[in-house]
Amino acid sequence: MSAVAGHALSLQRVSKRYGDFVAVQDASLEVASGQFLTLLGPSGSGKTTILMMIAGFVEPTEGRVLLDGRDITALPPERRDFGMVFQGYALFPHMTVAENVAFPLRVRKLGRAERDAKVRAALDLVQLDRFAERKPSQLSGGQQQRVALARALVFDPALLLLDEPLSALDKKLRAELQEELKALHRRVGRTFINVTHDQEEALSLSDEIAILNHGHLIQVGAPETLYERPATRFVADFLGKSNFIEGEAEADAGGFVLRRGAARVVASGAPRAGRTLLSLRPEKIALLPEGATEDNVVEGRIASWSYVGTGYALTVMTPDLGNIRVHLPAWRIPVSPAEGLPVRLGWARDAAVAVAEDPGSPVPGGVA
Amino acid sequence: MTPKGRHAAGWWALIIPALLLMTAFYIAPILQVLAISVTEPQPGLGNYERLFTSESVQRVIGTTLRIGVITTAIALLLGYVLAYRIAMSGPKAQRWWLLAVLVPLWISVLVRAFAWVTLLRRQGLVNQGLLATGVIDQPLALVWNELGIVIGMVHYMVPYAVLPMLSSMREIDPRVLTAARGLGAGRIRTFLRVFLPLSLPGLIAAGVLVFIFSLGFYITPALLGGGKTLMVAEWIKLQILDLIRWGLGAMMATVLVVAILATLAVLSRLVNLRRLFGAGS
Amino acid sequence: MGGHRPGWLNGTLAWATVIYLILPITIILPVSLTDQRFLSLPYERLSAQHYVTLLTTPAWTNAILQSAWIATASTLLAVVLGTLCAIGCWRLSRRSTDLVRALMLLPIIIPTITYAVGLYRYFARLGLLDSFTGVVIAHGVTGIPYVVITVSTALAAFDPRLESAARGMGASLGQTLRWVILPRIMPGIVSGAIFAFIHSWDELVVVLFIASRRVFTLPRKIWDGINENLDPAMAAVAVLLVGMTVLLLLMDLALRRRRTG
Repeated sequence: MSAVAGHALSLQRVSKRYGDFVAVQDASLEVASGQFLTLLGPSGSGKTTILMMIAGFVEPTEGRVLLDGRDITALPPERRDFGMVFQGYALFPHMTVAENVAFPLRVRKLGRAERDAKVRAALDLVQLDRFAERKPSQLSGGQQQRVALARALVFDPALLLLDEPLSALDKKLRAELQEELKALHRRVGRTFINVTHDQEEALSLSDEIAILNHGHLIQVGAPETLYERPATRFVADFLGKSNFIEGEAEADAGGFVLRRGAARVVASGAPRAGRTLLSLRPEKIALLPEGATEDNVVEGRIASWSYVGTGYALTVMTPDLGNIRVHLPAWRIPVSPAEGLPVRLGWARDAAVAVAEDPGSPVPGGVA
Repeated sequence: MTPKGRHAAGWWALIIPALLLMTAFYIAPILQVLAISVTEPQPGLGNYERLFTSESVQRVIGTTLRIGVITTAIALLLGYVLAYRIAMSGPKAQRWWLLAVLVPLWISVLVRAFAWVTLLRRQGLVNQGLLATGVIDQPLALVWNELGIVIGMVHYMVPYAVLPMLSSMREIDPRVLTAARGLGAGRIRTFLRVFLPLSLPGLIAAGVLVFIFSLGFYITPALLGGGKTLMVAEWIKLQILDLIRWGLGAMMATVLVVAILATLAVLSRLVNLRRLFGAGS
Repeated sequence: MGGHRPGWLNGTLAWATVIYLILPITIILPVSLTDQRFLSLPYERLSAQHYVTLLTTPAWTNAILQSAWIATASTLLAVVLGTLCAIGCWRLSRRSTDLVRALMLLPIIIPTITYAVGLYRYFARLGLLDSFTGVVIAHGVTGIPYVVITVSTALAAFDPRLESAARGMGASLGQTLRWVILPRIMPGIVSGAIFAFIHSWDELVVVLFIASRRVFTLPRKIWDGINENLDPAMAAVAVLLVGMTVLLLLMDLALRRRRTG
């Protein structure tokens, strides 16, 4: 992190209801200073509502918003000093790029010289100094996005809020700007809060991800933690893909063993008993060559397969565990795939993770 | 994301001045009319009894309704034809047609009445022309009667009829018409079975607008009626400024407002009223 | 519209209607240039004598000046209040503001005669009869609907995120209005101003009731002229009025084209 101090934000048991409709239910969240946090969820999950409550455009029905420990719940947006990049950027079409970027300084009544210097610095930061006198309509989508960033950062805001900043761009440009955004965050060292429905964007940009569904904050944690140790079925399914195996668990020496029909699946982790749901990532399963063995071995036949460039995606039908999806790099596949071909699947004890069903309520404490 | 509570106060402050002025100098005078109608000359509903007992009151209402209906019917017919022609033209031609509708709309009603008088009176240009060419040997009575009123009022109302109808015709997807023709419907069948029903909301909206405007119309009937054919508005002016019968005049003015608001209320169930007032600009 | 040309009957009737709408108005031009002392077409030559009469008779010039002042002042009133009200209603956008907006439209729904009758008594009590202020208020109030309609239409095309963006960057309500909202909806405001001006400039019924000697507007003068002596100076003033309306409308049209173009 850079030397410039960011600010810490915290949401305490925040809810937002519109009549009978619950947009956000009892969400608590801590964003540490200088962190890049992403609110991730499908549309209608409440992620934008949370961002709007942080920005001050939406008043929470219950709960508090704190900035560095100070209650700002009642503060109107214009007095919060947060920078914001709006969905579609919301650049002022009647102003030039420089005037757009100068806007936050103009409302703060900065002197002309100081204003010009800061605008120039902000445009330098996003490499748009040559476009200062253009109108937004004369810029490409990516350039507009950078103007929006410069405008949001020019007045040294306490926080930078980003509402789906990359969603309007095409795939290639999006990847490029992801890199830039990440570099920018490192350079300015401020606290960024980003909203997206794109899981790849969330994984590659964020220090922390908060996953939302149906107004509930389901899990908060570092991208690796969320991917490797999802707390619920929804998290496992929304971040990447997953196989789910349900059965009766009982404790054993290395963790627990799950029984389903004639099959036994061993898994590591805290011993547990009773009905249990396991999440197993397709890329953690191997096709075992003749004679090889693993902690878990399951026999089946290839039901379907496709070549996806980075490898093969197989669906293997097993008598006890149903269809299992497997994703393998081409060099790790010992046979040439064909429908109906008998195969043996194997995975290590620690490859599968026990996850909770989504009860529609947040998992206490999450895994963060 | 509409502001609530204290965030909304600033925005309400923008509304308040207009609301205050409107209440103090529009709503209050209108309510005053209502008050006068039930207090003068004596308190009570005596003025309203005249609606059922006075033949002259009934005659004025009858005349107004008759002229209103005739005007509305002719204005709708001409307006529909014109709107249809406009809707079917290319964008450039449409601008010119539209200008031909908008210019009369905004030209002073007095100027237009004056022009009609110049044309239609006994020594007017029309009569002179017809006499000179020998078509007639006696000047025709074209103005200062009901005919004159209708000519002038239709002239005023056609633009108001065109605008709502045009906006509803523009919403009709032209591919529907092509499809109807493609399915074997003739030109006339396509119009009657497809276009006309689709443009009906605009037709109704235009009818309401023109009818309620003609009920309370003052200047054109007063100038082109020549004092012989009285419509409600002129009758009210007569009661109040010339005969100083405030109660009676206020009663009729109230009835006029009630009739118009009732018409609007009934028809708001049939058509979207936004169409009326969105199209006028 | 592809393949669906209107027929000859429709074309003929449409043209006839347009001629009916336009021709009677154009007839005043030759009449105003008559060389006679009464209303007629020019007999031997064109003459500007009636324009001279118009511009040298104090009764006419005073009426023109008074109308211009009243229209300017009432337009200012209507534009300021109507614009702010339309913006407030647009931003709050709830049932109560829909009601406010409907209320603002009443002056074009309720017949002017009813308003004029009520205002006559109302102003008598306030001592505003036959006063400049009184007429300006009446014309201002009845001009508000035109401004509310045009400004609301302009706001419908305004991206509300721009307003949020401005507030989010620290702009107060006043700064947001001045720097973001007003510049974007200016064409709508100007349109509203044009219509409010024409409305006041042409308004007669209210003036007939609440003004008598001191306030004597141009429409009032024309009204008396039509009722008393139909002299060709009337045609000259009519031509001037039409010219002004057409000019204002063309201005409005040009503005709209720039807005869409």
